[in-house]
Amino acid sequence: MDRDDAAAQLAALQADRAALADRVLQPWWYDVTLGLLLFGFLASYAFDSHWVTAAAMIVFFGGLGALVAAYKRITGVWVSTGPRAMVVWGALVLLVLVPALVLSEGFDQHWAMVVAGAVLGVAVGVLSRRWGRAWVAELQRGEL
Amino acid sequence: MTAVAPRFDAVIHPAPRLQICGLLAAVETMEFAAVRDAVGVSDSVLSKHVKQLEEAGYVGVRKATIASRQRTSLALTKAGRSAFDAHVAELRRIVG
Repeated sequence: MDRDDAAAQLAALQADRAALADRVLQPWWYDVTLGLLLFGFLASYAFDSHWVTAAAMIVFFGGLGALVAAYKRITGVWVSTGPRAMVVWGALVLLVLVPALVLSEGFDQHWAMVVAGAVLGVAVGVLSRRWGRAWVAELQRGEL
Repeated sequence: MTAVAPRFDAVIHPAPRLQICGLLAAVETMEFAAVRDAVGVSDSVLSKHVKQLEEAGYVGVRKATIASRQRTSLALTKAGRSAFDAHVAELRRIVG
């Protein structure tokens, strides 16, 4: 293989990455649904009922599964969130959820879980969109 | 990013197989139909190339039935990622 062949192959690989970028961004409703599912699940704690929370959990995980399946069907690909993004998300969850759980369970201030659900629901929707766009930009750069 | 030792790989080298590996290296899994459309080959041609990559231990194939339709997804194995990275490093070395 000569230099020109190798350069052509590298260019083709980069072009494929750029073309892939056009199909991987999730539709807007994916982020909105993700946020609503998380809000619904966390806010369900405000009812202080195991039955309501159990039902909300079923809806939450069922909804997540349906979202993943829809994303795969629409884009044809799947990629997990990177470790750096997960650390950011984990820190945010701890920061919001721990005080809300203390207020809710320790002081009977169940409204705190509705606030936590709203904050984390909006955050997951915004971060999901941001991470999706960052991945598209990375693919468009064609870096191998 | 750690440096990868350049190594020419005869299994990955043919253009369609290099393309397949390049696409799969960017994702965790990719549907067979999406790979076929991106590479621009027929189902049978893609199957042939995937089989060769699978036999080399570079690609994993997973079949699942969703809503009574069979969906096949492809993923690079750890060995496949290493071989692809080394092959790309070799291409870069040749280009200079």
